[in-house]
Amino acid sequence: MREKHPQTEIAPYLRGDLSAAERDRLASHLARCDRCRADADAYAAVLKTIAADAARIPAPDWRAYRAELHRKLAARRNLVPGVPSRSWNQRLRWASIGTAVAAAAVLLFLTILPHSQPGAPSVDQMAMEDAMGGADIGLLRNYPVVEHLDLLENYDVIEHLDEVAPTDTSDENPS
Amino acid sequence: MVPSDEELCRQVAEHNAAAFETLLDRHQARAFRIACSILGSEADARDVSQDAFIRVYESAGKFDGRSRFSTWFYRIVVNLCIDHKRRNKWWRKMVPFSTPDDDPETPPVDPPSLEPGPEADAIRSDSARRLRSALDGLSPTQRAAVLLQTEEDLTSREIAEILECSESTARVHIHRALAHLKKTMREDR
Repeated sequence: MREKHPQTEIAPYLRGDLSAAERDRLASHLARCDRCRADADAYAAVLKTIAADAARIPAPDWRAYRAELHRKLAARRNLVPGVPSRSWNQRLRWASIGTAVAAAAVLLFLTILPHSQPGAPSVDQMAMEDAMGGADIGLLRNYPVVEHLDLLENYDVIEHLDEVAPTDTSDENPS
Repeated sequence: MVPSDEELCRQVAEHNAAAFETLLDRHQARAFRIACSILGSEADARDVSQDAFIRVYESAGKFDGRSRFSTWFYRIVVNLCIDHKRRNKWWRKMVPFSTPDDDPETPPVDPPSLEPGPEADAIRSDSARRLRSALDGLSPTQRAAVLLQTEEDLTSREIAEILECSESTARVHIHRALAHLKKTMREDR
């Protein structure tokens, strides 16, 4: 059976953060696994670099730090000293109300939005279509003429259909 | 008798200003250091660690004593840092992270020491630069986990308590962070 690489235990091993039994088991694994040993060496180097870097974090001017903190605290208090102003809970409550209102607005917008799509014409669109439909009635009155002209796709002709005089068919049918 | 942190926290809940000052004395340096490690910026660390103390001042009554005060407090610090990192992620990608080199008036964070010699300084400074660049590629939680272990010398169990996860999850965060740092720092050479 293939042995599992105990990689998540390497860092605790390096830092002495394992129980005696765990430590022995890992040491035994490292003795025969080149891959985990290489990882352990690399992790040790990284941990050393982090520790060296941390030592160089400069301390702030603590007097100024605390003065600034007290200013921030004072700004959060009400005018009555010793009484904290809005607690985080209150702030969270207002933030929740704000979020709920925003969500409701978005829902309302999303509900209204589909009605403004081409599939569902607005009132203005419908009125315009009615007007255009009325304009077509004149055309329909002369439909027999159009039918004979066989020019339904010639929009110039259709547009000026009312100007076309009825044709005299007597010449065509000498009887 | 010296009051415990837990006792001081109870007094802060009753608006005892002296108790709050004592907690500040005890924890300000560590809170700032943790925030600075996770955020990589002194100014942000200052703001975030101060915010953590403000939380303590305003929410001390919510400390239920089930964990130690330090665990509860550093959980606040780390959560604020993680929130801060996540909140500022989008613009950090657009605005290059400023370094002290960008501002000639900013004093160098790592002034060269005369003792080891300039060559050793250059090597050390280069490895610090590579480390910071590699740390930027970690998730806020991975970064917090590995820095709490390395810089604050916390055990996996303590880190798990602060991050509110299981000990094995904390170990996975640390392992993934170290694997990423190893890979990135090697590639960056």
